Amino acid sequence: MIKKPRMVQISEIVQESKDVKTFTFNIKSILSNYSIQYQDPTPGEFLMVWVPGIDEIPMSLSGFNNNKDWSITVKEVGECTEMLFNLEKSDLVGIRGPFGNGFQIPEFNFNNQLNIVVGGGIGMAPLIPLISELIKLKIKIIVIEGVKSKEEIIFKKYLKNYLIENETFYISTDDGSYGYKGFATDLFNSIIEKEIEKGNKINQVYSCGPEQMMYELFHICEKFNISFQGSLERMMRCGFGMCGLCVLDPSGIRVCREGPILDSKILRTCTDFGKYNRDFSGKKNTI
Amino acid sequence: MSEFFKKIAEKPFILASGILGVSYSSMKRIFEGGAGAVVTKSIGPILRKGYKNPSIIEILPGTFINSVGLANPGIDNFISEIKELKQNNITTIVSVFGDSIETYTQVAVKAQDAGADAIELNISCPHAEISIICQNKQLTYEYVVAVKKELKIPLIVKLSPNVTDIGEIALSAEKAGADAITAINTVNAMVIDIETQRPILSHGSGGLSGKAIHPIAVKKMFDLYKIVRIPIFGCGGVFTGEDAIEFFLAGASAVQIGSALYQDYNAITNIINSAKKYLEVHNYKSFSDIVGNAHKFETQEAPDF
Repeated sequence: MIKKPRMVQISEIVQESKDVKTFTFNIKSILSNYSIQYQDPTPGEFLMVWVPGIDEIPMSLSGFNNNKDWSITVKEVGECTEMLFNLEKSDLVGIRGPFGNGFQIPEFNFNNQLNIVVGGGIGMAPLIPLISELIKLKIKIIVIEGVKSKEEIIFKKYLKNYLIENETFYISTDDGSYGYKGFATDLFNSIIEKEIEKGNKINQVYSCGPEQMMYELFHICEKFNISFQGSLERMMRCGFGMCGLCVLDPSGIRVCREGPILDSKILRTCTDFGKYNRDFSGKKNTI
Repeated sequence: MSEFFKKIAEKPFILASGILGVSYSSMKRIFEGGAGAVVTKSIGPILRKGYKNPSIIEILPGTFINSVGLANPGIDNFISEIKELKQNNITTIVSVFGDSIETYTQVAVKAQDAGADAIELNISCPHAEISIICQNKQLTYEYVVAVKKELKIPLIVKLSPNVTDIGEIALSAEKAGADAITAINTVNAMVIDIETQRPILSHGSGGLSGKAIHPIAVKKMFDLYKIVRIPIFGCGGVFTGEDAIEFFLAGASAVQIGSALYQDYNAITNIINSAKKYLEVHNYKSFSDIVGNAHKFETQEAPDF
């Protein structure tokens, strides 16, 4: 793990949509320059990404490979992401991590069992390495990508390499400009009903995206008795369990350490999920 | 002995301020892990976002630098957390700061009214404007006297190692009516990124905590024990039972634990169990039996020539 922020050179930039870009950097130089032991990241883990002079923010890894190329996928939403967004190839960015727990892929997957992956907007980012892993493990999956409008669709080309649109890969748009018209949660509900009717058993749902969306997905899963894992987002200073900003009530679970991926068992007890988070001062606010 | 100090004597392990002290939920877990009390994050008169990130980094294994800058929701927003703590029967020390004698007092009184068992006065955060108080014995005296006057609950004063003579500040706090002292706050420090050649912390410098400062804190404890009569709580880099025992031997009445908790909430239970094991192996009944024992020895005053 890289504990102190270390500068790394951006080797590749891919424009995913109007306001989303994927930045790739190779971390071999950091590992050798500072004698850091390497461990493969797990899908769902995150980095603290530092733009010197601006800010340092948690960002999920959207990709990594055997060559130690790591990627983050950035949507312009605030000051720091805007600065990141304007970086060019060969520019430096600071990183530390990876932190957090990552998604847990159930070890057994019998015939007729199905995993469903649901991403909302930029929430697709940490799901990409998860989807790659599920495909590698030959686990039967359906992927749902929910966005507001057609222009916001990301990773479609990549996903279509492995999945068939409207069979194992669905897109929903709130405005109906592409694919299913409506929310990803409604599409998810209808897919589940259809799959159950076909006799398929869904044994795991993974998600990342707006918390309200995940909250609804979780409750649909509860209704159908399907285990759920969601990636939560909270304010963080340290990223490793010290500052307390990302603590969930009433369990004391730290999103940065015991999360960010939380399963049904934890979410059932969590009074904050879908309702409250804390701002940088520590004040609790309604989501 | 007041009810509060009785509780601390029974379980002389306390969550240090600034670590996992924002939500009652994390403090509850640490209390249930065996702490005798918890100290909240420092709370001020109004909401404060603090410094931008990077603001907390691990720079050596178990050693951290931070410049959070007293970020806190403000006492009025924090009262609900104090009440939750008290509803869960958690012995609660509210860490308090302000920007004047008046605001320090206001926040302390509000915390007391919300049910706090004691107040820890933060006059020593090294990367905020308030550190000026702990660097001056007269200011320390004035602040402590003023806050103490309005309190029915015990007042603990947290001191900084970033002073020429921590002893004179401690004496000043004692004279002003402090019921106990916490020593030490973090040590002034800095890290520079050599690629960009700029300080890493957004504030430039910050406070060092964790393993590296433990021997510094033990020395301050050893010095303070010789000169003040009120209880001293040892704080700084306690990661093991051995670290805690060292503090007791140097003169601590209780030990605060902070940075060690980043690994896992159980860290506090492991430290306490290991420290208790020491008592058992060495045939002591309680931690109070070993307080100050390191002072029994004559140390070499002048070097050999």
